[in-house]
Amino acid sequence: MSGETVKKMSKSLLTILLLLSLAGLAASQPTPSEKGREIYVSRCSWCHGREGRGDGPAAEFLNPPPRDFTLGVYKWKSTPFDEITPSEDDFVRMIKGVASHDGIQGWAGMNGTSMPGWNDTLSDGEIKALTGYIKGFGQLEKAEKPSIDTSVVKPSREGVERGRGLYKDRCSECHGEDGRGNGRKRLKDDWGARTWPRDLTKGWTFRAGSSAKDIYTRVTVGIPGTQMPSFADPKSSKRLTDEQRRDVADYAASLNEAYRKPGAGDTIRAVRVEGDLPQSPDDAAWSKAAYANFYLFPQIIAKERLYKPTLDSVSVKSLYNDSNIAVLMEWDDPTRSVPGDEKAAELAEGEVFADAVAVQFPAGKELPYFGMGDERPVDIWHWRSEGGEGLPQPIRLIRAKGFKNISEADTAPSGISAKGVYEKGRWRVVFMGPLTGAGKEAGQMDNPIPAAFAAWDGSNGDRGSRHVLTGWKTITLERKTKGGYFWAVVIALFVFAAELVWLRSAGKSA
Amino acid sequence: MKIPKPLQFIIVVLVVYGLLKAPGLLLGKPIPQSVIFMYMLFVVIAVLLVMTATDESTEELFAPVRALVEDPSKRLIRNVVFIILPLTAGYIAYGFTKTGGGQAGLRSVHPAPPLEMRAYGKAFDLSTLVNPLRRLEKEDPAEFKRNVEEGGAVYFRNCFFCHGDKLDGIGHYAHALTPPPLPFKGRDTIAQLSESYLFWRIVKGGVGLPQEAGPAESSMPAWEEDLREDEVWKVITFLYDYTGNRPRPLGR
Repeated sequence: MSGETVKKMSKSLLTILLLLSLAGLAASQPTPSEKGREIYVSRCSWCHGREGRGDGPAAEFLNPPPRDFTLGVYKWKSTPFDEITPSEDDFVRMIKGVASHDGIQGWAGMNGTSMPGWNDTLSDGEIKALTGYIKGFGQLEKAEKPSIDTSVVKPSREGVERGRGLYKDRCSECHGEDGRGNGRKRLKDDWGARTWPRDLTKGWTFRAGSSAKDIYTRVTVGIPGTQMPSFADPKSSKRLTDEQRRDVADYAASLNEAYRKPGAGDTIRAVRVEGDLPQSPDDAAWSKAAYANFYLFPQIIAKERLYKPTLDSVSVKSLYNDSNIAVLMEWDDPTRSVPGDEKAAELAEGEVFADAVAVQFPAGKELPYFGMGDERPVDIWHWRSEGGEGLPQPIRLIRAKGFKNISEADTAPSGISAKGVYEKGRWRVVFMGPLTGAGKEAGQMDNPIPAAFAAWDGSNGDRGSRHVLTGWKTITLERKTKGGYFWAVVIALFVFAAELVWLRSAGKSA
Repeated sequence: MKIPKPLQFIIVVLVVYGLLKAPGLLLGKPIPQSVIFMYMLFVVIAVLLVMTATDESTEELFAPVRALVEDPSKRLIRNVVFIILPLTAGYIAYGFTKTGGGQAGLRSVHPAPPLEMRAYGKAFDLSTLVNPLRRLEKEDPAEFKRNVEEGGAVYFRNCFFCHGDKLDGIGHYAHALTPPPLPFKGRDTIAQLSESYLFWRIVKGGVGLPQEAGPAESSMPAWEEDLREDEVWKVITFLYDYTGNRPRPLGR
C-alpha cells in the first residue's frame, strides 16, 4: 500500500466519522422528516402502505382505494391543472379534514371515502411534518403556481340558468342528464380502480365540498388521475371560459337534493289514504307522504361480504289503508342492470346480475335479528329488475330464520306485489301487501312496524349476501284522523276551561 | 344589571334544552327525544322549586302572569294568549295521537358477560381467562410489538370500517349503523373492561348479546366464524396499545 493511498483512506475515514457524528447529533433531536415518518407509520401506513404505495393491509377492501403517494398525483387540489403539486393548504385540508358545509354528519374526513379527518389527533406542526414526509414519496417540490382564485364565484339564479345548457353539453355524458351519476361511459382512474362519476344530487358525498366554489375549483382544476378533465385547459376541445365555468358550477350546485339527505331519524311516517293504494311510483297519491332517508351500509357482517358498494342511501315513503300497506323505495343507481342486456354489460363490473331491493318485516311479535332473522323469523318482500323493458319483474316472498335457513312462499295468495321504474339513474319501486303480512296483527294498529331495507346493484356484482342494507327502522301508521281530532279538541277545551276558572278566581281576589 | 326572575327561568330551561340537543345537532349523536323529555321535566320542576323557595321570589316569578290576568290594561294580550294556549295544547295533543309516538329502546351497552363461553371447540371460563400475549409485554417486548402490529393488520382488514381509522367509533360506515359502533379511544370503554370481556364480545358478536343489550339490532359480527383465536387476542392487544389504554384486571 503506498503512502498516497493510506493518506486518501484516512481522509475519507475521517469524513465518514464526521458524518456519522453529525447524524448522531441529529438523531438525538428528531428531524421533521423523522417525526413525519413516525406519524405516518403509526397512523397512515395501515391504508397507504409503509412505502406510500397505497397498499396497506386495508387497501384491498376500499373503493376509492387509498392514495398511492409514489406517483405524486393528487385528486383533490386547488392549484391549476398544469401544476402537479397541491398547495400546502390542500395537504392540510386533505389530512385535517374539513367538516364540509354539507357533509355526512359526524364525519370530519373526506366524504364518501375512508379517509378520516385528523384534526382531533394531529397538531398543526405534526401535519406539517407529515406533509413533508408524504410529499417525499413522490419527490414533490413546493407548488410553483398559487391556488386558483375562487373569490370570483358568486352564485346567482342567472348563473344557474346559463349553466344548464353548458352542463348538458359538457357534463351530462358522464354525470347523467339529471346529474345522478348515470353516465354512458365506463370509467377507470390511472391506478386502474373503477370510478363512478359523482351523483350531483347528493352534495354530501362530494369528496372536497359541494358549494359552488368547490365545484368551480373542480371544473377548473379537474381531478388529476381520473377522466374528470380541467375545463380551463386551452388544449381541451371542451374548454370553457372562466365565466362559463362559474355558471356550470352554479348549475351543478343547484342539482343538490338536500331533502334526500339521510338524517338522524329512524322513522317512516305512513300516511292513511281512503280507498285503493297506489300501485305505481308515479301515482300522485305519493305526494301525501314525506321521504324518510337512510344510509345504506354494505353487508360486511358475514361471508360473502361486499366491500366496495356503489349504493349509499335510500329514500322511503309509505301509505296505508284499512287492509294494505304500500312502501315506495327510491335510490340512485348509476346503471340499470338486467342480465343479458348488452348496454348493461358495457358498464358493468364483471358479470351483470339483476338490480334488486327488499323490505323486511318481523314475522312474529318479538324483534328478530335485523340480518334476516334468527330463531324468530322474518318475512322479506324481494323485488328484482330481471326481464328487461316491459317484461315482468319477479317478486318473491321469503321467510327466513337466519340467512342459512330460508324458505320461499308463493306470493300469489299472500297478496304482495311490486312494481319498479328506472329513470335517469334512479330506481323507484313500490311494494304493496297486506298489513298483516307486514308483521301487523289485526287490532294492533297502535304499534309501530319495524322494517329493514336492502338493495343490490347488479352491475357492481351484488348478488345474494353481497348487498347494501339498513338496520331496523320504524314505520308508524298515522292514526285515523277522527280520533286525533277528538283528543286535540278535548285537551284544547280543558285548557280553555282552566283559564276561565283562573280568570274568575283572579277577578274575585282582585 | 339584574335579570328578572321570569327571564332567568326561561334562560335556564333553554340552556339545559340546548345542552341536551347539542350532541344530536353538532355531532350527529342525538339523545333520544323521550330521554330529553324526561330530563326536561325534572329540570323544570327543580328550577321551579328553587325559584319559589321564598314568597318574594315566587311573587317575582309569577308577577307577569298575574299582571296578565289581573291588569285590565293588558286585556288584549290576555285574550290573545288565552286563545293561543288551548290551540297549542290541542295541536300538541293531535301530534301525539296522530302517530304512535316513538319508543325509546333502552339498551345496556356493557351487559354482564356469561361465566362460561364455548368457542373454537372448547370452553372458556371468562372469570379467569387472560390474554396469552399479555405476559410478552414484559418478557419479550419485541415479540409483543410484533403481535401488536399483526393485531393492527387484523383490525384494518376487519374492524376499521365501522370502529374507525382512529379507533374512535367513527368508521366510514358508522353513520349508517344504529346502534353506533363503540369507540376504543377514550377512557370509558375498553379501559373499564377486562380483556376476557373483549374476547367474549368479539368472538360472539352482536347476536351473542344477552336480550337486554339488543342483539337484534347490533351489527357486530360474531368473529369466531372468520378470525382465529390468536387473531382475536392480537387485535385486543392492538386496541389497548393504539389507544394507550390498560385493560382492567380480572376479578375487580
